[in-house]
Amino acid sequence: MRGFLPAWALALRVVGLTFRAQLEYRGEFWMRVALGLAWQTSIIVFATVLLGRFPGMGGWSSDAVLMIAAVRMLGHAFYEVFFGRVGELAVLVQEGRFDAFLLRPLPVYRQVQLSAFPSNALGDLLVGGSLFAWAVWSIELEWAPWQIAYIVAALVGGMLVEAAVFTALSSLHLHFPSAITWSYWTEELMTTFGNYPLKILPGVISGAFTFVVPLAFVAYFPVAVLTGNTAGLGVPVAVAAAAPLIGLAAFAGSRVLWNWSLTRYTGVNG
Amino acid sequence: MTILAVPSGWRTGAITAVTEWHSPSRMTAAGLRLAVHLFLVVCLWHALYAGTTVSAGLTEAQAVTYAVLAVLIVRPRANDRYSARDTVIQHINFGTIVYWFLRPLPARRYYFFRAAGDQVYGLAWALAGYLVCLAAGVLDPPPSAGAALAFAATFALGQAVTYYLLLLTDQLCFWTIKNSSAVDIMMFTQNLLSGAYAALWFFPGWFQALSAALPFQATINVPLSFYVGRLPLSELPGQLALQGFWVLLLAALTRFLWTRAAGRVVAQGG
Repeated sequence: MRGFLPAWALALRVVGLTFRAQLEYRGEFWMRVALGLAWQTSIIVFATVLLGRFPGMGGWSSDAVLMIAAVRMLGHAFYEVFFGRVGELAVLVQEGRFDAFLLRPLPVYRQVQLSAFPSNALGDLLVGGSLFAWAVWSIELEWAPWQIAYIVAALVGGMLVEAAVFTALSSLHLHFPSAITWSYWTEELMTTFGNYPLKILPGVISGAFTFVVPLAFVAYFPVAVLTGNTAGLGVPVAVAAAAPLIGLAAFAGSRVLWNWSLTRYTGVNG
Repeated sequence: MTILAVPSGWRTGAITAVTEWHSPSRMTAAGLRLAVHLFLVVCLWHALYAGTTVSAGLTEAQAVTYAVLAVLIVRPRANDRYSARDTVIQHINFGTIVYWFLRPLPARRYYFFRAAGDQVYGLAWALAGYLVCLAAGVLDPPPSAGAALAFAATFALGQAVTYYLLLLTDQLCFWTIKNSSAVDIMMFTQNLLSGAYAALWFFPGWFQALSAALPFQATINVPLSFYVGRLPLSELPGQLALQGFWVLLLAALTRFLWTRAAGRVVAQGG
């Protein structure tokens, strides 16, 4: 505990410096904010269009489907705030900047996260937060204390599942920077298929999105538990309800994998 | 363009294809990703149409055909030139952009050959995917020879529009120093407004009117609407004229920017 607060104080100072550094490129800064807005807005437009044209997906009401999209997108915004720089790891490795992290007296993973200010996350938060507020206002739930606590846990869990997936993939980038295309592809899959009840897809696909790329744990399972749409989940309800805990376990596992991969890091030139 | 420029142009255009050809693991991974993505998209659209037969004037077969073709047309953008350190932004950051302006091959011509080579290589993948999907009965052929010809003509012009839009974003970094966000924003905007996520017929009227005033729909929605028979052939002259207008406008604008960009090049150290 003695070192915890100074570590956070130092991290906040570095965040402040990276923020000032980004403001040196004012146009790029505002474009990164706009990037978050454009990214999230494009997903919202796509999702709402499909919801309007094809109501009642898999027996879910439109409000419940909207809640899936809202939880996923706000969880993604939190991921961008706290963990999004793992997506830039391939660039850091390829340009040799990563090697300097190994010489500094700070955990390497933390240095990766502090390497740039997440200005795009500002746009993500704005749109994700707005959609979440709209979904909460629209859905017919009593919002008992346990439901409020569970939705907060679900958002944190969704953030951790996404962080686990991309941290695990970035452990590959430490050795093969060009493997970043797998991360882009995985992100595209999560964006395209993460906003709907996965039960509308064939069993083999929803199973893959549960056990291979754990997309179901990001928003689908928690919202299913919250809204009572627990038929046809493909896993016991208790497992679906434990999605936030599974997210925490997955992230811890991905960090173990990342640290192991780091011990074998040799740089892009061998 | 001199006769000598053609062989060097061919060699420049073939860089991406040759690079990929010498990396079987990357090619295998690219094929795998494309196959899985196509399969998932087909599953999603069949699932969406489970409760209806026609939506936005598109039958299930038309919608699936459109969605598969959209994935294939977007495929050229999946080329990874970043790992080869040959993107405009990388050259500007590393200072090597100056060599583009010192070679016997003019910078804008080098860019054209390189980008055209990338597009042809990506379209070779798209053609292979198309033939496999057609043979497997995943998508339908065009309803008539006229529709096929209309598709071919509008598709060719759409590729020209795509080339100029990507060139425009690359040229931007001569002024902004950084342009990764601009490229990403352009990608999302293009995907949304071109009809890559979903045919524009599914979107509300105001959105279609907005798309009609921008060049993006010329790249995907127009050619694919002719392919699936959603646009009548009587619309062809008007659409060709509109696409031609965008090609000419973007060609003039980007040519003007090339002349200005040369004056913005700064060798390392100023």
